[in-house]
Amino acid sequence: MSLDRNPMTNGRAQSRRAFVVRAGAVVGGLSLLVRRAGAQEQSEQQAGATNSGEEMTSDSYKPVSRPPKPGAKPTMGKVEVENFERQLACPCPCTLDIYTCRTTDFSCGISPAVHGDIQRLVDGGYTATEIMEALTGTYGDFILNSPRKEGFSLAAWFAPFAAVAVGAVGIGALLRSWRLNAKTADAARAARAAAKPANAPAVDATPEELARLEAALREDR
Amino acid sequence: MILVGELSLWIALLMAAWTTTVSFAGGMQGRPDLIKSGERAMYATFGFVVLASIGLWTALFTHDFSLKFVASFTSANLPKVYLFTAFWAGQEGSLLFWTLIMTMYSAVAVFTNRNRNREMMPYVTGTLGIVALFFLMTMTFSENPFERLDWVPPDGRGMNPQLQNPGMAAHPPMLYLGYVGTAIPFAFAVGALVTRQLDAQWLGAVRRWALVSWFFLTIGITLGMWWAYVELGWAGYWAWDAVENSSFLPWLTVTAFLHSIMIQEKRGMLRKWNVTLVVLSFLLTILGTFITRSGVIESVHAFARSSIGNWFLGFLIVATVLTAYLVSTRLNDLQAKAELESMVSREAAFLYNNLVLVGICFATLWGTLFPILSEWVKGDKITVGPPFFNAVNGPLGLLLLALTGIGPLIAWRRASIANLQRQFTAPLIAGVVVFVTLFALGMRDVYALASYLLAGFVFGTIIQEFVKGVGARRRMYSEGFFAAFFRLIGRNRRRYGGYIVHFGVVVLFCAFAGLMFRRDVTATLKTGESVKATDAYGHEWVFTSQGISSDKQLNRFVTAVTFAVTRDGENMGLLSSEKRQHVNSRNEPTFEPSTEVGILESPKQDVYLVFTGAVDRDTAAVHINFNPLVWWVWFGGIIMAFGGLIVMWPQATKGEREGGYVAQIPMGRDMEPVGAGA
Repeated sequence: MSLDRNPMTNGRAQSRRAFVVRAGAVVGGLSLLVRRAGAQEQSEQQAGATNSGEEMTSDSYKPVSRPPKPGAKPTMGKVEVENFERQLACPCPCTLDIYTCRTTDFSCGISPAVHGDIQRLVDGGYTATEIMEALTGTYGDFILNSPRKEGFSLAAWFAPFAAVAVGAVGIGALLRSWRLNAKTADAARAARAAAKPANAPAVDATPEELARLEAALREDR
Repeated sequence: MILVGELSLWIALLMAAWTTTVSFAGGMQGRPDLIKSGERAMYATFGFVVLASIGLWTALFTHDFSLKFVASFTSANLPKVYLFTAFWAGQEGSLLFWTLIMTMYSAVAVFTNRNRNREMMPYVTGTLGIVALFFLMTMTFSENPFERLDWVPPDGRGMNPQLQNPGMAAHPPMLYLGYVGTAIPFAFAVGALVTRQLDAQWLGAVRRWALVSWFFLTIGITLGMWWAYVELGWAGYWAWDAVENSSFLPWLTVTAFLHSIMIQEKRGMLRKWNVTLVVLSFLLTILGTFITRSGVIESVHAFARSSIGNWFLGFLIVATVLTAYLVSTRLNDLQAKAELESMVSREAAFLYNNLVLVGICFATLWGTLFPILSEWVKGDKITVGPPFFNAVNGPLGLLLLALTGIGPLIAWRRASIANLQRQFTAPLIAGVVVFVTLFALGMRDVYALASYLLAGFVFGTIIQEFVKGVGARRRMYSEGFFAAFFRLIGRNRRRYGGYIVHFGVVVLFCAFAGLMFRRDVTATLKTGESVKATDAYGHEWVFTSQGISSDKQLNRFVTAVTFAVTRDGENMGLLSSEKRQHVNSRNEPTFEPSTEVGILESPKQDVYLVFTGAVDRDTAAVHINFNPLVWWVWFGGIIMAFGGLIVMWPQATKGEREGGYVAQIPMGRDMEPVGAGA
């Protein structure tokens, strides 16, 4: 309001109005685009909902059974079975291992069933390696609680340590270059000091160095 | 009020659009009127988001089931406190809550800088406006909390029982306060990059905000761990779940930034790196939100999932490209003449500290995203679970713990051999004493022994710093011990608050190492039957079933099993665990039954009882865990947050400030700086 009454700012007010009109057009255009994107997303979501049944089947129980070996004796005790089950991910969406899930969540029907399969295989004389092969043969590597240390999955284990190692080497190189900078600067300062006339100012530093020195002193105070 | 709230959301959207447009235009054209208008629009955006929030809370408290959000996440019989927290129980409300905090922070940042950083502020305001605009657009066009149903149901679905926990009242707000806090430094980084004002000035403006973010993330993560422990019933507090990892990632980069910023402040170095860390922290926050809400990765914490993943992915890509462009075109401005007097200096130690923090961040992100990568490359779905994260992050964590002790002991610029000997001797002895004692007591777990050795060393460094500092003050000012102790911290909050944070880290590592000694037992018992178990300390526990009981409480049917507990024959009281079937106001079941665990808590260990299920009316299946040192996880988190609070608390007036206790030590024997950081 005061803008309109003030002749000094009239031009600015007009340009502001023009700005509002232009900005409105841009916002309007953007919102149309966004609405269109939203509608597309909604239709994708609806399409996805029809496929949800398929998704569910990949997370459900799949029996794993083998005939008992002749004269079979259990290959693992209770504790060994529990530790074995800790290496296996429950196929339900709990994100826990089989042992933890079956001793925690009594509404999960999958982990007790997988435990039953494992126990039958143990009683049937199958070793931990054979049971693991049987389980991965049915569920795929998804049942393993951590990636295999072979093939592409090896990258999962290798990459973090490789990244840190590369970073360490990089930092080493960086520190050496900084050290070199310091040596070069020291040499330059020494050369300047040697060439300096006797009546030169006492402090030999660039304005930036002086500012930094002053800041450091201020902080120390 | 609900209608007002709904309309306010749309007006807030327009206001955010106005803020963004006029702020950038004002900055580029040098128009103070547009800049002022943008700042006012930011305040207005906040005001309208507050109105929208009040509108949603009104709908929740008045049980307006015509709103899809209210009908989806509450029921008529939901306790009032959870009607309040239902605001962030679902996607739409949590987005509004995020926006509320975002605009509040933005308004505070704009207000506190009304007379400072004027050249970069239009771009800071504009960037904050863009972020607010993005969230408001996501809500209004995709996940509107005020969306109405075609018909009004008589009752709502109710709230997920796992969210009906006091931890969930505080955990999400704290985490959001931390997450959103990364947006302010990001906005300042953009402002500094655009205006090319990349000296230490912009860092001063963002350091406190980074601390705020770190402080709330620390509290939020600790509360999240506590909630998972008491509510999910699997006797653990951290499962390296995608959502947990999402909160951990920005915490790591903000922690790295809070260390590396010191190098730029003291030495003018690491300009590029600091900008990168600030930008990375914000982008990781958005990435974490994408992971959490898109459903691309399974998570037990993902209560708010929908199709907005595409929105976040788009925003993430645009933000990454734009900031990468800004940084790459400002490399010359970010160039600093870096000089290092010695390879053995605190600067070098901080660089390695940053490397390990970012390394853990990378390992965590890599592990979180690897299932997607594997499926994309090989077509196989794989699981990357806790064994992977523990194996990779365990060694890196121990390295970080070691650097936590080493860093503060080495002097800036150059450390002499004499300095190193003097600084390291006592802490190293402390570490070795701890190691030898535990080994003599029979501890053989390598990870645990390494943790306690390093914990002893770091604890030694902290004690040494405090002892020297307090001693110096007592000599200089003839103060009593407590006065010297508190004044030492009060006069140099940044340094000694930092040591308190380090102490919290030590406590946490000690607690984590306690997990190596977990014991558990499962049993199925009739009333009167007992089960015996031995814990890691060698105590013999007896649990005698007192039977199963059932009753109705509030909005749930409860089935509970109770045990009389003795330890080495001594009565330890009763311990109960429940199964809860939540129902709506018509007593219809609303969710799957949930578990309420029983915990006999002590600093030494928790006895953790889980009622797995009732076999019949008289027989209960239970899982009993002995979890050593868990109590110290919560305590360590509190110490860290407390230390952070000391660091960010405004320093006393300039006249009272002292740069440590060394400045006035008289020349002579005591002249040498006490503590390498002096």
